[in-house]
Amino acid sequence: MSVRSRWFLLFTGLLSALLVIAAACGGGTSSSDKTKTASAGGGKTPAATSAGGDQAPADQQKITIQFAEPQFYDPHKSNFEQDIGVERMLFRGLYNLTDDGSGGVKVVAEGAAGDPTVNGNVLTIKLNPNAKWSDGQPVKAADYVYGIQRECDATVASPYQYVLGAGLGEVKNCDEAFNNKVPVTEVGVRAVDDTTLEITLNKPVQTIKTILALWAAFPARKDVIEKFGDNWTQPGNIVVNGPFTMKELVPKDHVTLVPNPNWYGKKPALQQITIKFIDDLSAAYRQFQTGELMATQINATDVATAKGDSTLKDAVTVVPSGRITSVEVQMKDPVLSNFNVRLALSRAVDRKALVDAVYDGIHAPATYWVVKGIKGFQGNEPFEGKIGFNLDAAKKALADAGYPNGQGLPTLKFTTRDSPQRRAEAEYLQKVWKDNLGVNIQPEFVDSKTRSARFNSGDFQLFPGGWQLDYPDIENPLKGLFDTGGGNNKYNCSDPEIDAAFQEAANATSDDARIKAYQKVETLVVTKLCGVIPLYQDSQTYLVSPKLGGVVPNGTIDAGLPGTYAVENWFVKKS
Amino acid sequence: MTAYVIRRVLWVIPVLWAVATITFLLMHAVPGGPFTQDKSLPPAVNEALERRYHFDEPLWQQYGHYLINLTKGDLGLSVSNNQEVSEVVRRTFFVTAQLGLLSLLVAVIVGMTLGTVAALNHNGPFDYIGVGFATIGASVPNFILGAFISIVFAVQLGWFKLQGWGGPLEWGDVFDTGAYHWDKVVLPVVALSALPASYIARVTRASVLEVLNQDYIRTARAKGLRETTVVLRHTIKNALIPVLTVVGPLAAALVTGSFIIERMFSIPGLGLETIRAVLARDYNTIMGTTLVFTLVISIANLLVDLAYAAVDPRIRYR
Repeated sequence: MSVRSRWFLLFTGLLSALLVIAAACGGGTSSSDKTKTASAGGGKTPAATSAGGDQAPADQQKITIQFAEPQFYDPHKSNFEQDIGVERMLFRGLYNLTDDGSGGVKVVAEGAAGDPTVNGNVLTIKLNPNAKWSDGQPVKAADYVYGIQRECDATVASPYQYVLGAGLGEVKNCDEAFNNKVPVTEVGVRAVDDTTLEITLNKPVQTIKTILALWAAFPARKDVIEKFGDNWTQPGNIVVNGPFTMKELVPKDHVTLVPNPNWYGKKPALQQITIKFIDDLSAAYRQFQTGELMATQINATDVATAKGDSTLKDAVTVVPSGRITSVEVQMKDPVLSNFNVRLALSRAVDRKALVDAVYDGIHAPATYWVVKGIKGFQGNEPFEGKIGFNLDAAKKALADAGYPNGQGLPTLKFTTRDSPQRRAEAEYLQKVWKDNLGVNIQPEFVDSKTRSARFNSGDFQLFPGGWQLDYPDIENPLKGLFDTGGGNNKYNCSDPEIDAAFQEAANATSDDARIKAYQKVETLVVTKLCGVIPLYQDSQTYLVSPKLGGVVPNGTIDAGLPGTYAVENWFVKKS
Repeated sequence: MTAYVIRRVLWVIPVLWAVATITFLLMHAVPGGPFTQDKSLPPAVNEALERRYHFDEPLWQQYGHYLINLTKGDLGLSVSNNQEVSEVVRRTFFVTAQLGLLSLLVAVIVGMTLGTVAALNHNGPFDYIGVGFATIGASVPNFILGAFISIVFAVQLGWFKLQGWGGPLEWGDVFDTGAYHWDKVVLPVVALSALPASYIARVTRASVLEVLNQDYIRTARAKGLRETTVVLRHTIKNALIPVLTVVGPLAAALVTGSFIIERMFSIPGLGLETIRAVLARDYNTIMGTTLVFTLVISIANLLVDLAYAAVDPRIRYR
């Protein structure tokens, strides 16, 4: 027995030694991180800060932030929010969209010296003479010509080509070039001289400055792209004209940006931005707690927990986004084509109770479709009394439709994404419709791609979806969605009055008249529930360290994180 | 023996082909493609994108091209970031293999130590402690354990970090001491090795107990051999065979990655990449990662079979 005891001692000694070594390996860096997290608790809200004398010294101007991994760093190939967020740090166009100081959006000239001179369908734009690429060469009109030609080039296959095409940007021959009917050299853009750009449109476009501020119209360097091919966006090859340039790229892990020495705008205070690619927002939440991240998106359902944590509550940032969530309705369906059935479904849902129950009250209950923050926003007021929560009206509508108390109404299929939040939302609606109206729905949980495939083929009855703004203008959430035959009109909404209102907007000669016409479109769509039953305007939820200054969130132009449209204003505060 | 090994290696080729074919058919049978999204792309854009990745060809032609390119080692382009899939797989597998091998090492050391201590102290306090640890390790899912140790040791105590992998991300950085951050390695390895460690502990305990009751151990003790010799030379060596049978499949499972642990600690590994590729319908990456899994599992199985022969002279392969 005594021999065995020695064995126990030996083994336990070995185990303890292993544990001590393991603990010691990680122990070295601990205390400084804890201090960082703790001090992060005491600051002001990020939105309330402004640049000034409270900047930390340059050697402390380094931050690590969370993003999903971009697909491309090439503005003319990009499709996703994270791509666009990083590209705005690297590239800038003729104009830029920025916060107007009151939560709205204004268009400012950056690559251009001022507003375009309009002569019929021809725009002449003088370029900013100080604008340079990161290799020191001036940004020439030819670079914008090449950028726009690339966007209209079928071989580049830009997912956002349509913003320059018919109905939106109206750049002459852009669609024709994209459909291989004319060569890209026929696209309506030319360099008059090095600093004068001329763009020919099919017809005057009121929103052209906003369109030219989008990544689709960014300039591009022909010599660099021809030299490196698809590898032109690799560090070492890439030539940019934005406030930052790319220092290092480790796919699947991170990208590191440093200031572009030849940037012609406001000199950024940050000396390094490390963007970590993190999809799991719970993991990002914990990394924020350890001080490894200074800004991250978080799940809406984590906001309440974060607000209850004294070290995190000042970092919680909730921003109304440019997205509206609705239940989309297939108008070709024999049951749902009946307006009274749609009205009953809409009026049976207490949107505030839904948002409170499923999303801790983070999102804004909505009976409108055009989101807050857009010029022409109408809000709930005109619609609440027509499609908002009212049980008696809901029951009456269902009876009028021929299904009193839901009798005779077949079970409706409800196709949604398989995520905890979407499940909770579906279960809530299922209960509300069953209890209030006697209507049965059959939730069907599928992965994101399956869901989109069903939507695009029109194979759905009820479908929680919505619209995320591409650019902050009232036309964006309407055009193509509710006009007969529109490219995104998967609900098959087809209504002569709505089509007439769209025509009115197209013929408008002033911006006010155009916006009024689009408000009319929105009013008709919502009151007729033509394909959509609006539920709420989403909020984006973030943790932004109070030590990070200059971040001004604006939900309609943020991409990835708040304030990414003007990252040159960000700075680390003095501790 | 050599003929056996050659035959086994050659068998990998039809296995790879079968897996490639089944995966190809299954992934195309699932609704939605790489460019499917709610905001549908205009038809011209969709066509241009499909042309870029050759998805516009008929399915049989895509399949044929894939197999031909595969024989040349060309796995195609990833739709998600336009990178060569071979490059993506090489990079992510390198990280996952480090995580997996380290976890395996920890699992074997901890598991065998616990199991042996428990068996030698049969029905004593260390036996109960060892069995208790093994039971907890086996019954707590690794996503719970991972979250728990993250919150306690990284968020609360601040001993460790949670962001990314602490080893080199590239082969070229293997000798760069700056690429190693042990404070990022410990937690994911602990989370990933807990289950296999407890499994190995239970098997080791049972195996050592059985060997300790064998006549030859009594004989060894009766001969007056020192207890160390009895335990190290006669007991543990003979108790190894059953342990080896579980270590082989565990090795394959660990080296092919843990999606959950990689996601939880933002580790850019193969497991995470596979799930991402499936959800994004990134066809070429799905094929690439599946084929690597197949290859690794085939090799692991072969090595285990060969190791049996090395440990147990009664086993012969022809």
